[in-house]
Amino acid sequence: MTLIKLERVTKDYRLGRTAVHALRGIDLSFARGEFAALWGPSGSGKSSLLNLIGLVDVPTSGELFLDGRNTAGLDDGERADLRNRQIGIVFQSFNLISVLTALENVMLPLTLAGTSSAVARRAALLRLGQVGLEAQANQRPDQLSGGQRQRVAIARALVTDPLVVIADEPTANLDAATGHQIIELMRSLNRSQSVTFVFSTHDPRLLDAVDRLIRLSDGVIVDKKEAAA
Amino acid sequence: MILLTIALRSVWKNRRRSLATLLSIAVGFTAINLFSGYIQDTYTGLRLTAIHYEGLGHVTLAKPGFFERGGVNPAKYIFSRDELQRLRRLVEEQPEVKLTTPSLGVSGLVSNGKISTIFLADGEEPESAAQLRALPSMDRTWQQDSLDPRQPSGGLVSSGLAALLGVEAGGAATLLSTTLDGQTNALDLDVLGTWDTGTSATNDKLLRLPLEYVQRLLDTEGASRLVVLLRDDASADAFRDRLQPILKQAGIEAEIRTWEELSVFYRQVKNLFDLIFLFLFSIVFIVVLMGIVNTLTMSVMERVREIGTLRAIGMRRSGVLRLFALEGGVLGLLGCLVGVVLTLLIGSIINGSQLSYTPPSSSSPVPLAVMILPMQMLTLVGLLSVVSMLAACVPARRAAQLEVVDALGHV
Repeated sequence: MTLIKLERVTKDYRLGRTAVHALRGIDLSFARGEFAALWGPSGSGKSSLLNLIGLVDVPTSGELFLDGRNTAGLDDGERADLRNRQIGIVFQSFNLISVLTALENVMLPLTLAGTSSAVARRAALLRLGQVGLEAQANQRPDQLSGGQRQRVAIARALVTDPLVVIADEPTANLDAATGHQIIELMRSLNRSQSVTFVFSTHDPRLLDAVDRLIRLSDGVIVDKKEAAA
Repeated sequence: MILLTIALRSVWKNRRRSLATLLSIAVGFTAINLFSGYIQDTYTGLRLTAIHYEGLGHVTLAKPGFFERGGVNPAKYIFSRDELQRLRRLVEEQPEVKLTTPSLGVSGLVSNGKISTIFLADGEEPESAAQLRALPSMDRTWQQDSLDPRQPSGGLVSSGLAALLGVEAGGAATLLSTTLDGQTNALDLDVLGTWDTGTSATNDKLLRLPLEYVQRLLDTEGASRLVVLLRDDASADAFRDRLQPILKQAGIEAEIRTWEELSVFYRQVKNLFDLIFLFLFSIVFIVVLMGIVNTLTMSVMERVREIGTLRAIGMRRSGVLRLFALEGGVLGLLGCLVGVVLTLLIGSIINGSQLSYTPPSSSSPVPLAVMILPMQMLTLVGLLSVVSMLAACVPARRAAQLEVVDALGHV
């Protein structure tokens, strides 16, 4: 069943006086429960595509459907609500709120959605447990290692039970062993809870772990294939 | 709640910068409260001086036109004895009224046999005037002799005038004036004592005389004014407005002035202090505004990625606006709370140090004191906190307008 569908999507930026065509007519779809990666050289359009799927940016042209709903014409507030409830985002640099504890960071999307503090706390502790960080719940990000921070970010992305988790180079800032653990964690969550994951990555280990690879070059898809894994 | 947590912890995280802003708010808050406490103390002192010490009462009734032209043609504006009795009875029936006392002004020459100089005097009923001049509260005291009803020719001389004439209590002088009919008249005066009028402009001219004495000097049985003292909680303005139609209904023609309208000095001082207060308040207002805008603009610039993250996980633009407005409010509130402590501390030091000073045009030193005004402080805490929140909206709006993708890409 199709979860995300992009039709003839383009994205242009202006860089000074120059127009940069980051994406040039992308047709792509993702099924529910997929574990897919976007890869390609720097500037190929991976992050731009991920930003569009995550509703943090809007296409210049074309249409994007999320769970059958056309996202064109949504106002800023509606996009924020969709991001909050249906999309989880994992950042390359973790992007945890530095003044909040790990638990509060994970609770944050639920709190923003208006969930009661007690319910948000229970859900956040559960997710922290799933990423193996229950003991670090009351620690601030600066008291956590890089791998632990990324686990907190994954717990935060999952806490609202989103339709899809997008992750921009999630292992880029981690050492090899920690990166491997993070890949394993996301893979197990994908398998056990059927959470859809879409990554952008350069990491060959991650490429080996995914079900599907989408190779981008110069803003177009040059290769879509099912991975051996 | 989560917004407040982020706001509070962000203020704490940037505590050095927050402290600078907070202290500027605290100092401004303290300056406003101390100055305001000082001028309120001064207003209270001046009000009591005007009502009791100068004997203006809360309201004064006179014939229409007396307050403008009474000095030129006094005979025209005198209440006859019957008129005065009727007026006094009617006024004393009103529940707000504590007492009434008639008064009759006179001017002329006073002489010690060698030197003559001009004088201004009010003739007053010794018993009721003594009650009018007694202070209602115990926290302020002044030494003021009263006229003696047993001495119909005994008067009080202002200290400057007494020094000029070289007379003191137990001495004598002669007053020369003209009767209402224009005849020259002179009477001997027994000096019962001296008093300081409080202002150098009047301290070498004023006399306080028994009403009957002045009536003899002017050859009349009436009085030009009826001074009314109200109960403590009554408003002079409200009483005036209520009394006016009652007098009209009774067919009595009288003009009513409140002490505030009659005390030119009070109005001048109040206008000046109000202007200085407005000036000071405007400066503090601008300092608070700029401090908050500056602090939060820097905070927004440093936290672009955080704003992008919050937006990416679902915070609406209005949420960002609220977050920074809350931070502004927290800074404002904390600054005011420090200001409350500083105000209480410095205020009690000033009040405890028994300082005094001689204001311009005053003939004697007055105590330097500041009133602690809890309601005003509370209002100011609320006002400055709201102002801080509103000031924060300037950088907050900038933060809220950031595009999520741009904010996330910010390094």
